[in-house]
Amino acid sequence: MKFKSQKIAFWFFAVCMLLLVLQVTYGFIMGFARIGMDGLHDIIPFNTARATHTNLLVVWLLTGFMGAAYYIIPEEADRELHMPQLAWVQLISWVIVGVVAVAGFHFNWWEGRKFLEIPRPLDFLVVLNVLLFLYLIGMTIWNAKKHSTTQLVFFFGLLAAALLYLPGMIYFDNLTMDSYFRWWVVHLWVEGVWELIMGAILAFLLIKLTGVDREVVEKWLYVVVGLTFLSGILGTGHHYYWIGTPKYWLMVGGLFSALEPLAFLAMAIWAINMYRKKGKEHPNKLALYWTLGCAIMSFVGAGFLGFAHTWPQVNKWTHGTLITAMHGHMAFWGAYGMLVFAVIIYALPQLTGRKIFDNLSGYIAFWATNIGMVGMTGALAVAGIAQVYLERKLGMDFLAAQKETEVHFIGMMLAASLFTVGVLIFIYNFIRHGKPTDEALLAPGESND
Amino acid sequence: MLSKSQARLFFLVGTFLFSAVFLGLTWDTMRQMSKRTNAQNLSAEVKAGKHIWETNNCMGCHTLLGEGAYYAPDLTKIVKQKGKTYLKTFLTDPQAMYPGQRKMIQYNFTEEQKDNVLAFLEWVGNIDTNGWPPEPNIKPPATESTVSSKVSEPPPEKFAQLCTACHKLNGKGGVVGPALDGVGSKYDLAYLDKWIKDPQLVKPGTAMPQMPLTDAEREEIVTFLIKLK
Ligand code: HEC
Ligand code: HEC
Ligand code: HEM
Ligand code: HEM
Ligand SMILES: [Fe+2]
Repeated sequence: MKFKSQKIAFWFFAVCMLLLVLQVTYGFIMGFARIGMDGLHDIIPFNTARATHTNLLVVWLLTGFMGAAYYIIPEEADRELHMPQLAWVQLISWVIVGVVAVAGFHFNWWEGRKFLEIPRPLDFLVVLNVLLFLYLIGMTIWNAKKHSTTQLVFFFGLLAAALLYLPGMIYFDNLTMDSYFRWWVVHLWVEGVWELIMGAILAFLLIKLTGVDREVVEKWLYVVVGLTFLSGILGTGHHYYWIGTPKYWLMVGGLFSALEPLAFLAMAIWAINMYRKKGKEHPNKLALYWTLGCAIMSFVGAGFLGFAHTWPQVNKWTHGTLITAMHGHMAFWGAYGMLVFAVIIYALPQLTGRKIFDNLSGYIAFWATNIGMVGMTGALAVAGIAQVYLERKLGMDFLAAQKETEVHFIGMMLAASLFTVGVLIFIYNFIRHGKPTDEALLAPGESND
Repeated sequence: MLSKSQARLFFLVGTFLFSAVFLGLTWDTMRQMSKRTNAQNLSAEVKAGKHIWETNNCMGCHTLLGEGAYYAPDLTKIVKQKGKTYLKTFLTDPQAMYPGQRKMIQYNFTEEQKDNVLAFLEWVGNIDTNGWPPEPNIKPPATESTVSSKVSEPPPEKFAQLCTACHKLNGKGGVVGPALDGVGSKYDLAYLDKWIKDPQLVKPGTAMPQMPLTDAEREEIVTFLIKLK
């Protein structure tokens, strides 16, 4: 670490870990309900568990992105963070809003729109909070000593993500309108501007870990995010097939969303090539594992499994089934979960000065989470195919078809247990690093590149 | 080889161009919106129904237009499929209609709230969804459909409102329970009467619900069933 103010990132990462554990807990509540063990129904019905599960997911990922920004931006801009005390205010208010939102879900207080369940009054607080965050990051970049493509792409990604939250706050009486603009948040986030954030973070990590020339890494960064928008913007159409929007979306959405995997493929090839060209051996091998792992798993989960159900002729049958849940898990994990893990594992030794690089538990965490996630995805895929065949193709009653998928959910939860063990080991490793300290600051002139 | 500034240009032009096309298509979609969704039918009742739908996060268990959660059935066409009388009976006590099955929340809606929710779902059912959900396109191995019941008289009102939500008769109706064609030669009158009065008593743990029927209504239904030979 080069600057004292980067230390705040540690606390964002710590919150991140806590929220992840809660998210997984609610995942298990739903998993058990799906195999008939719904003893918690009266206190935490399925819709509460689900809103909590997915919102915590989004919140921990955003918390991770914010932590990453507070770590990366000062380093890229080569100066202290603008007003670091305010970053604390931002963290604490962020956590308060998050806690209130999740608590509200348990008292039937929500907006009831998938992924945007947070009620509108709290939306405004979220906006204020994010404005503060963008101000701190923006001012740091504005007064930067060095300007880099990486920090610009990162900032543009964060800013665009904030702006795209707004269409999701408008109220419509017409469900189709409502849904149309809900996708501006959900789709244009994960298959648009979040990929900018992902590209920027990967670029930063690749520059640090492989020692490849910045100009080369950043040139390809532009190509990757260029491909993202080329396909992802019109790719939104793959959510406009069946919701009451015109028929031409079947063609537009089908065609362009089928191109979306190219962006993820480019991301993977880019990362692997930079690794091949590496000019040095960075001691933090684990960080390299997570960085390359992220680039590869995002292609599998988002690119490949997204492609599998994006053609209208396929989506007609799979739309709104467990096939979607299958893809959602691996895509979110591969692209964004692993990304946050990669930054954390890279930054921790820098922040705390404890260079525990070569440790077995770190590798166990890597393999357990990933093998666990592949298993979960496999089980959901089989359950999803069974559901599509029985319910959609044969016309079996919904609940009867669901009965047939229970066995796959037992498998899913076994795999999820392995995943959870991996997460817990990762957290054990996290805690072992101790707290961030000024002693970890690099001496002037010393470099960690 | 591609230079960095060319790569940047590719990014900027691509983003600008496709955003512009996207906004254009959005404009056209908005133009067609009211016609495709029958926006003229968005009555106060429908709007109130949407509000109930959202403030209770029904989408946290159900899908609607295929969007939402996968724990409970898609409700896009539910009013067309099962009819309002059945659905009102269901909403009064969801767990009684599906004994021992996955639980829906007991909301204790007033009659007016139930009407609103169903008006909303009915409106959704008429949206032009480009043919979604599709009809099942694989025929199950023929078993039940070999019998079809020839009865000249129309079924009793309550039968058409409640029973066909779950049972097929002459190929029409729901798929939760078995088809009722030929049921009159399977059981006798006393059994059918006992069964419909209290299914759990006859067959503990069965998924067939006990329904709010008066004695007269039940009698009428049973006399109808026994004719289904
Ligand atoms: C906790 C999950 C849950 C929530 C929340 C929920 N439902 Fe359900 N709902 C179910 C399940 C499960 C079924 C399938 C039948 C059953 O097992 O009760 C169902 C069935 C239905 C049906 C169809 C019944 C049939 O026979 O096909 C309707 C209509 C319905 N729900 C409406 C609603 C409305 C309106 C709301 C919100 C006010 C809502 N549900 C909220 C779980 C839920
Ligand atoms: C919510 C769905 C549902 C509704 C509504 C419903 N049933 Fe059923 N019914 C079932 C199920 C499920 C079974 C199978 C029960 C079993 O085998 O344990 C069944 C079984 C039956 C049987 C026995 C069929 C056989 O071949 O063995 C008869 C008769 C019957 N129902 C009549 C009725 C009548 C009459 C009504 C209307 C008053 C009605 N049902 C309403 C779900 C329903
Ligand atoms: C990291 C990137 C991605 C993430 C995090 C992600 C996540 C998700 C999630 C959570 C859903 C469910 C949304 C909902 O129903 O509310 C979804 C749906 C969908 N995704 Fe992705 N996705 C990603 C990339 C992709 C890509 C690249 C494609 C196509 C090639 C794709 C194709 C689809 C399709 C077709 C659906 C709709 C499924 C349905 O009809 O039910 N996704 N995605
Ligand atoms: C490890 C234990 C986990 C379990 C048992 C679990 C289980 C579940 C279940 C049962 C659902 C609801 C599906 C439905 O509607 O029926 C769900 C939804 C979801 N979960 Fe998980 N989950 C776990 C972890 C995760 C992780 C780590 C992520 C992300 C990285 C994740 C992302 C999601 C997403 C995006 C959805 C919404 C999917 C959609 O709507 O298509 N889950 N999860
Ligand atoms: Fe999408």
